[in-house]
Amino acid sequence: MAFIKIENLLKKFGNMVAVNHIYLEVQKGEMLTLLGPSGCGKTTTLRCIAGLEKPDDGDILIDGQPMFSQGFVPPSQREIGMVFQNYAVWPHLRVFDNVAYGLKIQKFPRHVIKEKVMEALESVGLTGLGRRYPGQLSGGQQQRVALARALVRNPKVLLLDEPLSNLDAKLRERMRFEIKSLVRRMNMTSVYVTHDQAEAMVISDRIAVMEAGNIVQVGVPEEIYKKPANRFVADFIGTTNFIPGEIVEVPKGKELVYIQTEFGQKMLCRVFDSAAAFPNQKVYVSIRPEDVEVFAKPPDGRDNLFKGIIQHRAYLGNFLNFFVNVDSTMIRVQVAYDVRQEEGEELFLFLDPEKCIALT
Amino acid sequence: MSRGNLIISAILWFVVALFVIYPLSFLVIESFKIAGTDYYGIQNYIDFFKDPYYLKTFVNTLFLAVLVLITTTLLGLPLAYILARYRLRGKVLFTALILLPIVLPAYAGAFALIVFFGKMGTMNLLLMDWGLISKPINFVFGLHGLVFIQSLHLLPFIVLSLSAGFTNIDPSLEEAAEVEGAGGFKRFLTVTLPLTSPNYLAGAVIVFLWPFTDWLTPLIFGQVDFLPSISYINIAYHFTDMHRKYMGIVSVVVSSVICVGIFLASKTWVERKKYTALSKGTTLEGRIIDPGLLTRVSSYAYMFFIAVLVLLIPIVLGLSAFSRRWVLQPFPSYWTLDNFRLIFLETPALLKNSFLFSGVALLFGVAFGLPAAYLITRTKVPGKDTLDFVITLMLAFPGIAVGVSYLLAFWEGIPLATHWIIMPLSLFIRRLPYFLRMAHASYLQLDVSLEEASEVSGASKFRTFFNISLPLLLKGVFVGLVMFFIMAFQEISTAIFLYRGGWETLPIGIYLNWHRGMEFGIAGAMAFLMIVIIFILLLIVARIGGGILGAAWGSSGGRY
Repeated sequence: MAFIKIENLLKKFGNMVAVNHIYLEVQKGEMLTLLGPSGCGKTTTLRCIAGLEKPDDGDILIDGQPMFSQGFVPPSQREIGMVFQNYAVWPHLRVFDNVAYGLKIQKFPRHVIKEKVMEALESVGLTGLGRRYPGQLSGGQQQRVALARALVRNPKVLLLDEPLSNLDAKLRERMRFEIKSLVRRMNMTSVYVTHDQAEAMVISDRIAVMEAGNIVQVGVPEEIYKKPANRFVADFIGTTNFIPGEIVEVPKGKELVYIQTEFGQKMLCRVFDSAAAFPNQKVYVSIRPEDVEVFAKPPDGRDNLFKGIIQHRAYLGNFLNFFVNVDSTMIRVQVAYDVRQEEGEELFLFLDPEKCIALT
Repeated sequence: MSRGNLIISAILWFVVALFVIYPLSFLVIESFKIAGTDYYGIQNYIDFFKDPYYLKTFVNTLFLAVLVLITTTLLGLPLAYILARYRLRGKVLFTALILLPIVLPAYAGAFALIVFFGKMGTMNLLLMDWGLISKPINFVFGLHGLVFIQSLHLLPFIVLSLSAGFTNIDPSLEEAAEVEGAGGFKRFLTVTLPLTSPNYLAGAVIVFLWPFTDWLTPLIFGQVDFLPSISYINIAYHFTDMHRKYMGIVSVVVSSVICVGIFLASKTWVERKKYTALSKGTTLEGRIIDPGLLTRVSSYAYMFFIAVLVLLIPIVLGLSAFSRRWVLQPFPSYWTLDNFRLIFLETPALLKNSFLFSGVALLFGVAFGLPAAYLITRTKVPGKDTLDFVITLMLAFPGIAVGVSYLLAFWEGIPLATHWIIMPLSLFIRRLPYFLRMAHASYLQLDVSLEEASEVSGASKFRTFFNISLPLLLKGVFVGLVMFFIMAFQEISTAIFLYRGGWETLPIGIYLNWHRGMEFGIAGAMAFLMIVIIFILLLIVARIGGGILGAAWGSSGGRY
């Protein structure tokens, strides 16, 4: 049974629906990320799990115990740990006291508190800084205090609300791995909120993509990237090309369909659900820039081969981006940094049918 | 959780209903009473507006308000710009001096001005000694003196709100104007000034409403024909003359209606035009420039000029406090501690009362203000916005309205007026918004997630308040406390109606000594003592609150 279970969760602010009847399950020991643009309801969902917001409808269960719907368990009784976006480290308490706060409330004996706090500080790499005030710490160190504070009580669930968004790029990358390995080691069930898709990819066991209060797709990172459920997900995760078109023919029993686009009579393309596809259906063909192959001369016997002219050439160090004009549709292509072609030159693009996805 | 909030809300509403709504509605109802009968009607109002005399006081008050506003604006605009925008040495000191009048009672300033600028005051005597004039010039007695002292007293409100406005403007807005070709003065007129207008209005309202509230200063300058003054005289001295009593009550109600109306209109306007909220990325101190030599010199000269005017008040009061028989001499020649001996030996009750009443009012203020601030910023209890609104309205109500309504409402029925508790109670109600606003502002600055983090850690709301919120609010709240105390300490317009023998406070003592036959030395000594006490309190606030600006205005940054 799922460790965290959310059913039919609804949260409104006035007339604005922030979370729209969502269902979500988090397994024990799993790190699930709520990913989406700002205003999609991911933070609200997290705050509902924490009990910091009272939902308007639905059920929330943690470890089989109802948190909402049958009564309302206040945040202080939920046995959760939470890391806030702005750390929320109490400026008037020393690092030690910040971390010890929850333990003191639980009335642990002093030596136990000391032992646990020291252990928590050590696990986040803050050994020896217990007597400092938060004002004397860097942003990254305050972040670690917040993490230690959230973990020290060994909570049932760890909630993280964009914990890395206030750190600089380098530190953010390092903290991703630190958080992940720490949480893994403790076998902690956790829910992580972020708008940064790269962060979500790295840190999560599974990702739930949210848009406008709805969960549009849940899956492991690879699945989300390779099999986006719709245009929004494909667009939000990574970079992709969208080519508008119309389905011409759906061959029986195959995952490949023929699509007419502005520059090609019959383009072969995958659909995940061929039963739902039908002729004349308007679709968008999505293909990632790194999935496009380029040729100076057309190779033989391939479908989905199109001729174009390089409009822009952007050097990004480890690779090149070409913006290729194919009959006035612009297609972005990622190629190796040593490809010679210059702007204005002709090029053949091979859009591998296996990697072209028709999305609605 | 929300059950507790509802209980808090109910208690606060009870206090507001009993001590704000009940007495004030009593006042309004009383104003409709037809003298000598049990009937009600609008006869009093018809009489009031038909009587050319009362109409004249009405117009006079309006005229005074306009003049004071113009004067403070003209004096304050350059001052605010200098303080907000130029990097000058000693700016903090000048700021402190210029803002001093905010905590100096206007009546104390009036005494000082009479001693210095009066017909036989220092200035006239010096000018005559030097042979520059043959007859004394009337510097202060009359409308011009009144405008002068009220403007001096109210200048800080304009300066604070304007300089807050100048500081809050996103520097990039002005830089954009410069890039577009609007330099110097043109930029100031087209971008800076319009962007500052909401801040200006916030200060301007306080200034404009003041002449509708201050009854004592006109009396000191021998002016009676203003609404608050005539209200006071009618109610305090002619309570046996039914007609005059009711005219007094009506003029209190009329003043209140005007004050509240103007206050609400400006509040609506300010809320609709919150420019500053639109822009992001304001720097902490805004845009500060190093002025050129000419600007620097004239800035200093100007700041110095205002500072001298302000300093005149404590200096003159100090001179008269330590002297006797300072008459017909430019400066006193007989020095003595007699005045203080009289205060400390013969009437220590005044000091005791002042501290007691202000202290008790402070306790009331904390007991009410902290839960109210919590309720308004942190909960969604129904009716909390209305509560906030009603409390904020108390900013606009003239003190005289509170005093008179308490006198009327708490005499029979709920006979609180026979117990000394009425004194701190009225002080507390009169200054209700001050503490609340500051607690409110501190609450707004306290990030909610700090409290949420505590709840998530297993602490109850109650425990969170004492472990996390209170320690973090303490600084801002403490500044609010001291400001509240200072305001209560110098309060006279409410207290004068309610005091009875033995309940006199220091301000009332000042008034009585002046009133009873010009015991100027004692009145001066009392005023000086009060200024010293207030100044010490202010220093404490500055120490804790950091920065004199913050000390004089709290953390609300020049808004209401």
